[in-house]
Amino acid sequence: MAGYAFWRLVQAAIAVFGVMTIVFVIMRLAGDPTLLLVPEGATREHIEALRHELGFDRPIAVQYVAYLADVLRLDFGQSVVQRLPATAILASRLPYTLELALGASAIALLVGIPAGVAMAVWRGGALERLLATFVVTGQSMPTFLSGILLILVFGVLLGWLPTSGSGGLSSLVLPSIALGALSMATFARMARIAVVDELSKDYVRAARARGLSQGAVVVRHVLRNAAVPVVTIAALEFGNLLAGAVIVETVFAWPGIGQLAIQSIQSRDFVVVQVVVLFVSVIYVAMSLLADLAYAWLDPRIRLHG
Amino acid sequence: MSDVLLAVENLTVDIGGTAVVDGVSFAMRRGEVLALVGESGCGKSLTAMALLRLLPPAARLAAGRVVLEGQDLAALPERAMRRLRGEALSIIFQEPTASLDPLATVGSQIVEAYRVHRGVTRAEARRAARDMLDAVGIPDAERRLEQYPFELSGGMCQRIMIAIALVCGPSLLVADEPTTALDVTIQAQILDLMRKLVAERGASILIITHDMGVVADIADRVAVMYAGRVVEVAPVAELFASPRHPYTALLLASVPRLDATPKAQLATIEGRVPSPDEFGVGCRFAGRCPLAVQRCHEAPPALADIGRDHAAACWRSADVARLMEPAS
Ligand SMILES: Nc1ncnc2c1ncn2[C@@H]1O[C@H](COP(=O)(O)OP(=O)(O)OP(=O)(O)O)[C@@H](O)[C@H]1O
Ligand code: SF4
Ligand SMILES: [Mg+2]
Repeated sequence: MAGYAFWRLVQAAIAVFGVMTIVFVIMRLAGDPTLLLVPEGATREHIEALRHELGFDRPIAVQYVAYLADVLRLDFGQSVVQRLPATAILASRLPYTLELALGASAIALLVGIPAGVAMAVWRGGALERLLATFVVTGQSMPTFLSGILLILVFGVLLGWLPTSGSGGLSSLVLPSIALGALSMATFARMARIAVVDELSKDYVRAARARGLSQGAVVVRHVLRNAAVPVVTIAALEFGNLLAGAVIVETVFAWPGIGQLAIQSIQSRDFVVVQVVVLFVSVIYVAMSLLADLAYAWLDPRIRLHG
Repeated sequence: MSDVLLAVENLTVDIGGTAVVDGVSFAMRRGEVLALVGESGCGKSLTAMALLRLLPPAARLAAGRVVLEGQDLAALPERAMRRLRGEALSIIFQEPTASLDPLATVGSQIVEAYRVHRGVTRAEARRAARDMLDAVGIPDAERRLEQYPFELSGGMCQRIMIAIALVCGPSLLVADEPTTALDVTIQAQILDLMRKLVAERGASILIITHDMGVVADIADRVAVMYAGRVVEVAPVAELFASPRHPYTALLLASVPRLDATPKAQLATIEGRVPSPDEFGVGCRFAGRCPLAVQRCHEAPPALADIGRDHAAACWRSADVARLMEPAS
């Protein structure tokens, strides 16, 4: 198990390194930010001087090596626009995104998994059809569309909930639903598949033959076995939530890192873009690492002999 | 007839409108081992599952009575049936490893089987589980209880399944091909174990098998099934010596020697088993039967007593001994 964990850690580091490299190159190819920073009508010398000051006149490879060296020293640079440490900007936005991601995860897990289990246990019945409609809706609606619909219905028409900005629990509800809907559908589908799969296994019939009720077999045996695949996707879904946050934060004017990423891309503040992407990819990779370890921990066949 | 433990009467299991188990009847005495034999797909497993009312979702118990110790299981509400499973009658299956929850220790599964019927503490149940492991010949019980199914061999898992099945002391153990998935030496050990436990506990075993070696080894009586029906029932020695149904006779003739290898499987008989939509109105064996006459195609022969403790469902059962080659 320790050897396995180490190997996965190495893989994770390679993945993060890959993402850093790709983002770095893409941001450089996207154009020179110096032009966006200088006031209109600046002289050529002025621009050149600023470019030199920011280090953009060096070859990309040199800039890249310097960047890597900085990152290794945990120096993530200064925003060229705001002239503040990029990490400080990230840190100021992070709590909002975490709040949103937690809200969305709660909705996704607490609605998705029970719905999936119910669909599996009562498959073929009216409840399954009802829940399936619900799940398909969550799954097929693009996040920006469900966001706008939620705003229209609960914000504009009914006026029940705030639709823009962050302020208290009530402002969290709609963006959490918009962000969580897709993951909720994924959880429901995965939980349903996993539970149906488990229910057809011999050990279920054998457990019933011991005198357990169907419900007791589900609670005591099936859920734990079905959890193995679901836990794996749960961690990955958390990574997906961060990606979805970009859209939801824009639609709901939510001041998190998704919104920060969009704003920074627009202003070619690539130091901030890099730190946001690096952060998200570290979280993403850490989550998939966690998923693998949880998988191994849940399954004694891997836990004891992996 | 108070020594009758189980009476199955006219048991009928329906899948998609056809009776794949069709009017099966047989009885078992206390302490007896009855073997249920027949070709693949003749309905043995469905019969077994119907006894415990654990049929697969596609199948339905369409008719019949399953009277265990005077109580008709087929008519019980599910809650009452649940109280009997594992307590009055237990079942073990062909695939012992797949029958255990892979994520739970074997100990917890034996404990669970005990506690679901006995309102005892975990510690007491654990003691019962340990005693059970001793009884099924698993040494080092304390350590074994903590192990997971994947850490045990198939033979060990089957011993665990037997421990689970017997921990509440049921009067009937249904064993659906309990040794088929195991290798030959382990098979013999498991059969020995089952025989010993029946003798000690006075339980009865309904054993389902393809294997005439197993039948000869463990059974007191045999019920032969063909295409969803019981065609012959007799004590094992009598059945082997003088079968009264042509199917049984062919079945035995195709086995090399009774006392030869325990691996002697049911060999193939000319032709093939009809599928349910080809059953027709007459005897279901008529298409393959060397003795078939016109009448066989027109009306189904009922299972009728043809001697002491011997029944067969054949219009020409009286002619079988004379006309067919005796088992060599
Ligand atoms: N879940 C199911 N769905 C549909 N048909 C089934 C199902 N289970 C069994 N059958 C059918 O019912 C018939 C009897 O099956 P059963 O499993 O009782 O046979 P068996 O005598 O136990 O055979 P084997 O020796 O191969 O185990 C077969 O024709 C089989 O195809
Ligand atoms: S009833 Fe006829 S067809 Fe059926 S087994 Fe007897 S002789 Fe053969
Ligand atoms: Mg079978």
